Amino acid sequence: MNALMTRPELRKKIALQGIAFIIVGAALIFIWNDLKKSGATHIQTSSASRVSGILPSLLSDLNLILPISLLAVLFGVACAFYLEEWLSATSWVRRFIESQVTFLTEIPSLLYGLLAISVLFSYAGVFKEIGTPSPVQDVNESGLAVVPFQRNTTMFYAEALIFILMVIPVAIKTTQEALRSVTTPIRESAYVLGANQWQVIAKQVVPLAFPSILAGGCRAMSRALAAAALLIGIHIPDHTTGPRGIPDRFMLFLGGALLLSTISSFLKKSRLETSPTATARHD
Amino acid sequence: MNPRKALTIGMKTNSQNGSQNTAVIEVTDLKVHYGDKSALNGVSFDVYQNEILGIIGPAQSGKTTLLKVINRTLEFTPDTTVAGSVKLDGEDISTIGDVYGLRRRIGMVQPLPVGLPLSIYDNVAFAPRTAGIRSKSELDEIVERCLQQAALWEEVKDRLSTLGTKLSGGQQQRLTIARALSHQPDILCLDEFSIAVDPITTMRIEDVLKTLQTEMTILLVTNLVQQAKRLANRTAFFLNGDLIEIDTTDIIFSDNPAEQATYDYVNGTFG
Repeated sequence: MNALMTRPELRKKIALQGIAFIIVGAALIFIWNDLKKSGATHIQTSSASRVSGILPSLLSDLNLILPISLLAVLFGVACAFYLEEWLSATSWVRRFIESQVTFLTEIPSLLYGLLAISVLFSYAGVFKEIGTPSPVQDVNESGLAVVPFQRNTTMFYAEALIFILMVIPVAIKTTQEALRSVTTPIRESAYVLGANQWQVIAKQVVPLAFPSILAGGCRAMSRALAAAALLIGIHIPDHTTGPRGIPDRFMLFLGGALLLSTISSFLKKSRLETSPTATARHD
Repeated sequence: MNPRKALTIGMKTNSQNGSQNTAVIEVTDLKVHYGDKSALNGVSFDVYQNEILGIIGPAQSGKTTLLKVINRTLEFTPDTTVAGSVKLDGEDISTIGDVYGLRRRIGMVQPLPVGLPLSIYDNVAFAPRTAGIRSKSELDEIVERCLQQAALWEEVKDRLSTLGTKLSGGQQQRLTIARALSHQPDILCLDEFSIAVDPITTMRIEDVLKTLQTEMTILLVTNLVQQAKRLANRTAFFLNGDLIEIDTTDIIFSDNPAEQATYDYVNGTFG
């Protein structure tokens, strides 16, 4: 038994985690059945062996990822602020959401990827797309076909949904940790000056926690990108592959994930440097 | 102890000083519990206008809790219960609607200095700005006055725009004193302010406190018994959440205070 928890606390925690476990377990069984039915486990071919260069792929991916991830991160951060600053620690809403969020962040990102395949293949009509390749509309000077910039809308929403599902819990969790790092004694130093909650948050909590929040957002997005890269890496059919047969999106996503993790680690470092607890205390 | 006696002696001292003996803070049967643990068990005393009340006592005696009750920052600690009443100028603080206004009337210096993540200037100007002062010249004046009172002006006057959190521990402590003075409080609560400050600077701040006494009432919580002896008009001795004795500083530090425990504590033969 965890020595840091009393028995009733532990019991509640087990109950809440149990609910999360059942939900995710059911989802996994559901996904597995879907995969078997759709035969997605045997797919080896790519939908678009037409060579097209990186630009359309890049544009269409950015078009999906940037707005969705920004929205997801913003939503996650807002959620975390509400949970941490406005709900009391004993509120059951907060406890429930926190335990579910913890569970979702602990799930390996590949499982989300499998969920994505399941949803995409079963319901978003990707197979249909494979069967009927979009017409080549143009050929550029170098003689390469240009794939028109287009996307299946259902698939767009499905991808967006999975992306959100992956990003939001991580964003919530990292933001909450960042907000908790601004402890009560630090906040009190502003409260004793007559500041109200908004002023304390705007002038003290956000400036202190901002680098960590940003780092958390980057980490959340990097996690989603890495999962996407992994999926493409194991030859999940997609619109576009690069000229040398390596899927461009795989490289792109992997690169993005690496870049974001690097930024995140840099931000974490700078957080320590500006932390009031880390500054010298001696005269 | 006999509260009646303490009250009369306190009033006598005040009338000797020529100041009014009106009670600014009236604490009546104050009980505070952290969960099941009792921090203050029924404390009653008055704090008079323009006096320095020294509060001494070992750790866990409820000194900081008392200050937190007065400016209502105890509300941030979960699972606390407060019984009894604390009146500020005759008004019960628990029924005051504008808690931010209440905190603006009380300057608070905490034992561990916490700089706001703002420049030195903005640290001191924070409270006046939240109170609605916008004029630059007025703010400049307040910042200079407060930093001088906190004996910090000479050290930082050339770098007011650097981060307050970059100062050393002792300087940050003085910055919190300047901040506490910046909203011109009626009551100044100092919770072990000299913990990170060298003896010479401590003396300079103590001199400032003596001059400030004409403008405000000062509650001085200190672990340095001699500091209470130097500064306080009256001294209260707390032990394990009980007010053992409150009397004029002369009597508390004399050879025959009312309680043996007081004598033992101030003379260092205690525990």
